[in-house]
Amino acid sequence: METVVALGLIVFKVAFLIAILLLLPLPLTWLERKIAGHIQQRMGPMRVGWHGLLQPVADGIKLLTKEDHIPAEADRFLFKLAPILALAPPFVVFVAIPFGESISVRGTEITLYLSDMNVALLFVIAVIGIEVYGVIFGGWAANSKYAVLGSLRTCAQMISYEIPMGFAVIGVVMLAQSMSLLDIVRAQADLWNVVYQPVGFFVFFVAGLAEAQRIPFDLSEAEGDLGAGFHTEYSGIRFALFMVSEYVIMLLVSVLTVILFFGGWNGVLVPLPPLVWFVLKVAFFVYLFMWFRFTFPRYRYDQLMAIGWKVLLPLSLANIIITGVAIS
Amino acid sequence: MSRALDRAGTWIGWAFFADLANGLALTFGYMFSRSVTMQYPDKEKWLPYARYRGHHFLKRDEAGEIKCVACELCARICPCDCIEVVPYEDENGNRHPAKFEIDTARCLFCGLCEDACPADAIALGQQYEFSSFSSRDLVIGRDDLLAKPGKAATGGGVVAARLNTQKDVLVETNEPRGYNWWRNIRRT
Repeated sequence: METVVALGLIVFKVAFLIAILLLLPLPLTWLERKIAGHIQQRMGPMRVGWHGLLQPVADGIKLLTKEDHIPAEADRFLFKLAPILALAPPFVVFVAIPFGESISVRGTEITLYLSDMNVALLFVIAVIGIEVYGVIFGGWAANSKYAVLGSLRTCAQMISYEIPMGFAVIGVVMLAQSMSLLDIVRAQADLWNVVYQPVGFFVFFVAGLAEAQRIPFDLSEAEGDLGAGFHTEYSGIRFALFMVSEYVIMLLVSVLTVILFFGGWNGVLVPLPPLVWFVLKVAFFVYLFMWFRFTFPRYRYDQLMAIGWKVLLPLSLANIIITGVAIS
Repeated sequence: MSRALDRAGTWIGWAFFADLANGLALTFGYMFSRSVTMQYPDKEKWLPYARYRGHHFLKRDEAGEIKCVACELCARICPCDCIEVVPYEDENGNRHPAKFEIDTARCLFCGLCEDACPADAIALGQQYEFSSFSSRDLVIGRDDLLAKPGKAATGGGVVAARLNTQKDVLVETNEPRGYNWWRNIRRT
């Protein structure tokens, strides 16, 4: 009986998480368009629903009913596989992500995470890396110049930025003496890591921007010079899958930044429920992503590489050394 | 000394991304500024100034008789030859147009007909919503021109309006809301 209940709880949590992650891109697209509009003194979507709130639903219906076009010269198997490969890793990563300690419902303690892995951070960074395959396959299978160029750029960009990203979190791991995300958050109960690790936060966040392929690092889908980058040839629901994965990654980077550097669900000053604190912090970082997008221009390709290898990598290495010296 | 300080300041600014922060502050300010969008068919409508040259209309005199004397000067001066006037003489010996047609599909709304008219009979009003699915419907006859709305006394404002798919964009109030949104554009 006990095991059945525990199993049912896990299944319920997985279903709940997947539902939330699949549905969150809808309000996020609306939010992004609204923010874009207001920054440019427009109003954004206004006509479908109250202040355009139902616009994402209309867009979703449109994408579902559109023709699912596959180019004649495309590698059909890879072409179909790529959106799934791009979508699955960001969802898988959330297995290891904690959203809080636990809440009690009718006397039963329900933990707000699926699993407390002792190598959660390693798992997260490893699985995010798989997402590159979706992008590369998508660009390669479409057999189009723009798509191939876009996926080449993405490939180079993701590989160069995963290294500083991985190094940046080492400082956090050294401070918490653990790779479990739960322990990392617990270690920040007194003071957030961003105070100890400002450089680590900076490197992680910039690399996260590049990882999520957001402006100023959205070279892989630079509208101006590449059409739409690796998903140029995608249409309909497959295109929607790429978009969902992009938003989930954006969310993921925000969540990771909050967990690693901003104390997760630990609040300051204002006593709010831990989950509320967590959601507020993540919302702030999501907003930051969108705010960046409509403020900054795009980096040139060589600048992108220079920032990755000449600035972020030495900074993250120096950060590790200084943290090590300071701890010992 | 000050130059060295300046340079040091530049380097400090560079190290802490002063320029990026400036850009972010600017866009943040814009985010909470008034948007310049006029929600045209749905909620608002722009009322043009009195000098605006919209759809033509024909005027009547005090007796209710058509002012036009069918001199055809407007047809003569029209640069795109879109006015056709056929005169007749009534029992009192006055000339009036039997047929007065303006092909608004060809009209370029220059207002020369209004300037040329010796009887002050034709003018360009404020109506600008007369699109059509057929160019034949854009040939407007005499009686329609007499029924068209004339020049409004006020103009240059945004009024509340609502889209009526059967008829037109309906103005809900005649009072201009009285804000000039060009003045509210944030320029920095």
